[in-house]
Amino acid sequence: MKDEAILKRTAGERVFRLISPMALIAGLALTLCWVLIFVYAPRESTLGLPQKIFYLHLPLAWWAMSGFFLTFAAGIVYLRTGKEQWDAAAAASTEVSLVFACSAVISGSIWARASWSVWWTWDARLTTALIMCFVYAGGLILRSMDMPPARRARICAVFGIVAFLDVPLVFFSARLWSYIHPPSISLEPEMKLTLAVCLAAFAPLWFCLAALRMKLDLDERRFDALRAERLSREERRSR
Amino acid sequence: MLLRLRDIARFYGRRLVFSDISLDLSRGEVLMLCGPNGAGKSTLLNIMAGLVRPSSGTVLCNGELRIGMVGHHSCVYAELSALENLRFWAGLHGLRLSDKELTGMLEHMHLAAFAHEKAGTFSRGMTQRLDLARAFTVNPDMLLLDEPASGLDEASLAVLRDETAAAAGRGAGVVLITHRPGELSFSACRVALLENKRLRLYDDFDAFRHRSSEERAC
Amino acid sequence: MLRAALVIARKDLRLTAGRSAGLAQAAALGLLLIFLFSLSLVPGQRMSAQGASAVFWMASAFCQVIIFGMLYGYEGGKGQKQGLLLAPIPVQSIWLGKALAGVAMLACAQALFLPASIIFLGQELGPAWKAGLVVIFICDAGIAVAGSLTGALAHGQTGKESLLSILVFPLLVPLFLGGIRVGSSAFGGSGEAIGDWLGICLAFDAVFTAAALPLFPFAYSTDE
Repeated sequence: MKDEAILKRTAGERVFRLISPMALIAGLALTLCWVLIFVYAPRESTLGLPQKIFYLHLPLAWWAMSGFFLTFAAGIVYLRTGKEQWDAAAAASTEVSLVFACSAVISGSIWARASWSVWWTWDARLTTALIMCFVYAGGLILRSMDMPPARRARICAVFGIVAFLDVPLVFFSARLWSYIHPPSISLEPEMKLTLAVCLAAFAPLWFCLAALRMKLDLDERRFDALRAERLSREERRSR
Repeated sequence: MLLRLRDIARFYGRRLVFSDISLDLSRGEVLMLCGPNGAGKSTLLNIMAGLVRPSSGTVLCNGELRIGMVGHHSCVYAELSALENLRFWAGLHGLRLSDKELTGMLEHMHLAAFAHEKAGTFSRGMTQRLDLARAFTVNPDMLLLDEPASGLDEASLAVLRDETAAAAGRGAGVVLITHRPGELSFSACRVALLENKRLRLYDDFDAFRHRSSEERAC
Repeated sequence: MLRAALVIARKDLRLTAGRSAGLAQAAALGLLLIFLFSLSLVPGQRMSAQGASAVFWMASAFCQVIIFGMLYGYEGGKGQKQGLLLAPIPVQSIWLGKALAGVAMLACAQALFLPASIIFLGQELGPAWKAGLVVIFICDAGIAVAGSLTGALAHGQTGKESLLSILVFPLLVPLFLGGIRVGSSAFGGSGEAIGDWLGICLAFDAVFTAAALPLFPFAYSTDE
């Protein structure tokens, strides 16, 4: 009885209890980030203020990629077990990571404007991030299509797996296409520390958003299942 | 033993189609599956074929079975000729049959005259006969027929009876769904009645007829 | 597996040959694209080799969508699909069969696109054209391997799902970049790093084949 399975809360869902404390941690950590970025970290000599974008850009890109990896992993687990929770996890992770990836592309573009005075350049990392935005945006459209739910979940899982395998190929081909490396910046120790804190601070943020989205998704599914059950009960009674 | 079903249940959404279905099918056996519309006969047949997963219960089969199935939906490619259709399905099943053998099969089904016509031009009955020819050609271990008599004339019905009996004689297990059991009676066959979400088995056709007339009376 | 795949591919090609509108439609769309892009040129002007190569691959990409939509459409009635799934063959041989038929059809279409690009976009074959052909074939193989998987995903009850095959275009980016660069050198552009691109295209083929083998049964099944 596949449908009833969704009604039971699994032990794994205890992870949702972490949402509130994690949100608190994320809030505090991000506040600390702002202080570090604007007060503690030294101003870079050549780029000036726009260099600070870097502290946001890198964590965004980083956690977007990690999120896409989670979509990939959740897809595999879903195909193996057929448990809807994993489909919901893949969906939530795709959505949040896509927001992160788009923010990374936009911030990267502003960075490019400030440092190379063009909005766009065929840098491998930038290109890869952009293509991934396209791919996963397609993945979201796929999710919104009208199909039998089990088929949709399966198709999205396959798509998530294939999309992630494509990442390194896109990266290498983009690098070969146009061999521009962003000048490697030598980071001051203060900068390194700021960057590390930013990287860490975005983790609870990502987790909160994804967990909330997943919880909402599961609640929606449960609501649908309960409503269907009630309708069929009423129908039986009226007969 | 060819196929063993144990405690099969199937839901569509939250609607229970049937439950507690246990059934054995042995080699050379013909099982007639009857029941009212919407009782889930086709679903049960699809579960036997492995096309639909049961919501619970187990399906065991004896090794890799070659399945010949004629379902509601025709397998015929409208833009291939009757002969090409047969050749394709035979090839897919790893059989190297000469055109003569294939034409022989078509002849059996009274389709030899149309061997080179595109199947898309066929009437419903002819398409059904071509589907049956395909199912018999692939030399199945298990023959699953979903209302095979629909659209067939008297002569084809006789061929269907003969071929089914012949397949069973070669050791194939046959399950066939029919609304009118009288139309396709076999001397030795079990009857399964799928009704009110349960399956009841009768040892032979007479027992079924006897029983069902009794039930109808009350 | 290969035997069953060949049987399926032969059947699909036979069906395509019997249907006048099928491949012609795909080829016509590609040719139209090439012609439309020739309008971006002032009379007498020649398109850059890279530009022409990009147009050529774009035509191929759209052609691919139609081809695989058509190939999986042959099992549009539920019965044929059930028949294939019931046959005693590995499910993956359906994927392989469709990919083989697809690569043959794509190559046929490209045999038209290539001269069309030369004529309408003012190109000439450069010295590297033989190597170019090899890479085109490797790219085609990749397009077919990926297209056969996504075609199975897109294959479904509603027309809306056919949009799906366009959503997967970005996945093919590595192949397109490789195809465009190598095509550009075949059209007499600067001939650099064909070997590297060859590597990326081969890697693409390998990755998508490796992914399609375990994933295809999930993409193509009757149990909804």
